[in-house]
Amino acid sequence: MLNVSPRQRPYETLPGLTPLGIPAVAPLPAGESDDTQRLVERFGDAILAAGMHHGQQVVYVKPEQLVALAEFAKSDPKLQYEAIVDVSSVDRSELPADGARFHAVYQLRSYARKQHLMVVCPADEGGDPEVPSLAGVYKGAIWPEREVWDLMGVRFAGHPDHRRIMMPESWPNHPLQKQVPVGGEEVPFTLTWSDPEFESFGKQVMAAESLPPVVPPGMSRENMIINMGPHHPSTHGVLRLVVELDGETVVNVDPDLGYLHSGFEKTGENKRYKDFVYYTDRMDYLSAMSNNLGYCVTVEKLLGIDIPERAERLRVIMAELQRVASHLFWLSTHALDVSGTGMALLMYATRERERILDLFEMACGARLTVGYMRIGGVSRDIPPAFLGHLEEFLRAMPIRISEYESMLTHGPLWEERLRGIGKLTRDEVINMGLTGPMLRGSGVDWDLRRDAPYSGYEKYDFKVPVFTEGDSYARYLVRMEEMRQSLRIIRQAIDNLPDGPYRVEDRKVTPPPRAELDVSMEALIHHFKLMTEGFQVPPGMYYHGIESSKGELGFFVYSDGSAKPYRLHVRGPSFNNLYAVSKMSKGAMLSDIVTNIGSIDIVLGEVDR
Amino acid sequence: MGLEEKLPEGIITTQLETLVNWSRENSTWPLLFGLACCAIEMIATGSSRHDISRYGSELFRASPRQADLMIVSGRVSNKMAPVIKRLYDQMSEPKWVIAMGICASAGGPFNNYAIVQGVDKIIPVDVYVPGCPPRPEGLLYAMDKLRAKQGKDNFRTYANLNASPAPATPEDIESLETLRQPQRA
Repeated sequence: MLNVSPRQRPYETLPGLTPLGIPAVAPLPAGESDDTQRLVERFGDAILAAGMHHGQQVVYVKPEQLVALAEFAKSDPKLQYEAIVDVSSVDRSELPADGARFHAVYQLRSYARKQHLMVVCPADEGGDPEVPSLAGVYKGAIWPEREVWDLMGVRFAGHPDHRRIMMPESWPNHPLQKQVPVGGEEVPFTLTWSDPEFESFGKQVMAAESLPPVVPPGMSRENMIINMGPHHPSTHGVLRLVVELDGETVVNVDPDLGYLHSGFEKTGENKRYKDFVYYTDRMDYLSAMSNNLGYCVTVEKLLGIDIPERAERLRVIMAELQRVASHLFWLSTHALDVSGTGMALLMYATRERERILDLFEMACGARLTVGYMRIGGVSRDIPPAFLGHLEEFLRAMPIRISEYESMLTHGPLWEERLRGIGKLTRDEVINMGLTGPMLRGSGVDWDLRRDAPYSGYEKYDFKVPVFTEGDSYARYLVRMEEMRQSLRIIRQAIDNLPDGPYRVEDRKVTPPPRAELDVSMEALIHHFKLMTEGFQVPPGMYYHGIESSKGELGFFVYSDGSAKPYRLHVRGPSFNNLYAVSKMSKGAMLSDIVTNIGSIDIVLGEVDR
Repeated sequence: MGLEEKLPEGIITTQLETLVNWSRENSTWPLLFGLACCAIEMIATGSSRHDISRYGSELFRASPRQADLMIVSGRVSNKMAPVIKRLYDQMSEPKWVIAMGICASAGGPFNNYAIVQGVDKIIPVDVYVPGCPPRPEGLLYAMDKLRAKQGKDNFRTYANLNASPAPATPEDIESLETLRQPQRA
């Protein structure tokens, strides 16, 4: 095989393992917090374990009491876990642990109390693995639970729409289960032109096939059902919407995903920690830097390393530049979709976006898929000319943003197409688990950079724009203001950029400098070990969310102590946000669907992963 | 020399083939169709700085019936493969394909269950562009290569061309396996 697997370290006893005979083994929490204590008091025996793990509140609960626990956590005034941000799962069949094979993992969020709670529920064995569905409590669980069923094969009892979501219905297996191979093909390595491999290139033409059309449940053939996508200019990628129309009024929308499903999570489980950084670029390819940051921060938390000040500041500069670039791209395509001034704006916004890409190119040599950050810092220091160019950009950009606003904000066409379109109330956005500008456009004052700071964001002074209208226009205003705030953050980061190392000096995590390899045998060994085996991450699990340009980008990493993640799950903000498109579009005009998709700001690479 | 000397000014003579190829080279309309990261670089190629209209290709057509060139810009998943094949069949002859980036050329970093290892498994490809993603300059260079190829076209190719098989009706399709069979009975 081609993928040379790193040497596996034998599985170790997990820290905090207590001899309680609990079926839910690794990893067990230790200690307790007020919230976990309250849940233990309320549910008693139904709680298998509760406490803190890597600084996060974790509760293991029996499946019988899962729904009751979620309802209690949501309604209890002392807990107020109003939203579910993520549902994932772990197949534990390769762990030397007893008990249920599958664990469903839920991430609950309290916006009022700024708290995070991880709930783990072992699935019932006996036939298909099954856990009760939380769709009745949180609407935001509906799509993630479908994803877990599709990719992991865990059933959700009582789920209102129990279909596959990524793979075609006829797919033979659930790809994330451990016994399912990664798949793919052997790559031919040949330099002989007479090799038959070359003969077949470009000649493997086959008949056209397509999937049989299926009317989604809940749609009536009495109305007109049309197919929008996967090849449609306004769906921002390969998204397919099945739209039920009564005249021009939308009755129902059913998004069909998976046309860009690339198996990131399965790939991640077969790559070493350090090698997955480059894959994160290709998920949300409009904010590669933010993806890098989210992944690196998560693994660093598991490793327990602190990175140098300079690296943190550089990361913040890059992530905020990326946010501006991503918002510019959103603005230009959104305007292209809904407004007549679109093409001009696309050209103008591209001009500024190219300047940001130039800056990235200076720092790391790539424009789009940057791979700039590393676990333990960044890949290289910025070149001396970088800051000068950045200053120039910072001077020019506010004027440009004002220009764009003057083209759009009070334009009658723009207002007509956006005001009151795709309205979502505060309760709806929270219940549906939406994040990012979707939250802030509907009056929820929440930004992970301020409310759960990472990468030193607590040191910056910036405002979080919040609008209460909840329509597409409010989300437009939020994003425009976010660009200005990002520029402010970059300004502060430059002003306080210290000298010093740009990555940690820990030789177990980062390679030694090139010059050291010539003189030090030890450095050579470190380098060799790191490049051939990678580094091992202590056992445990961790969920970390960052504020990407689209919303909360979360990484859930479950480590078994080896050099590869045992389970790697990505919570793509576009995926969860896209769930709202049906709600936003029902009763509106067909053309408003285009506005709504643009307003959600999806990237299909992240939706489908 | 010969005829041209006798013609009034402003008239030139050429071969019909050359004339047709010349016009095809200079107004190749791509299909407005993006898949993944490469699509963003394709858009960058089309917008202000790189300006693909210098090549006469600024008119990205949303309908395959109006497009000459399919730029497969990104990874092709198993679910997307039938759609791409269908779009290709809907394009009218003559048509060209650029496999943009390593994913479309050979699967790239995604050697796994979800991704077709190269779009040439389902449609014929004229130009492969390496890169992950290729820079806009890379795509423009590919357009150059394509122009060279278009310039060498002759009518005889089209005389003996077998028309593409008629697109299958959706009812004919059961699974991906049927797609993988090279020829259906």
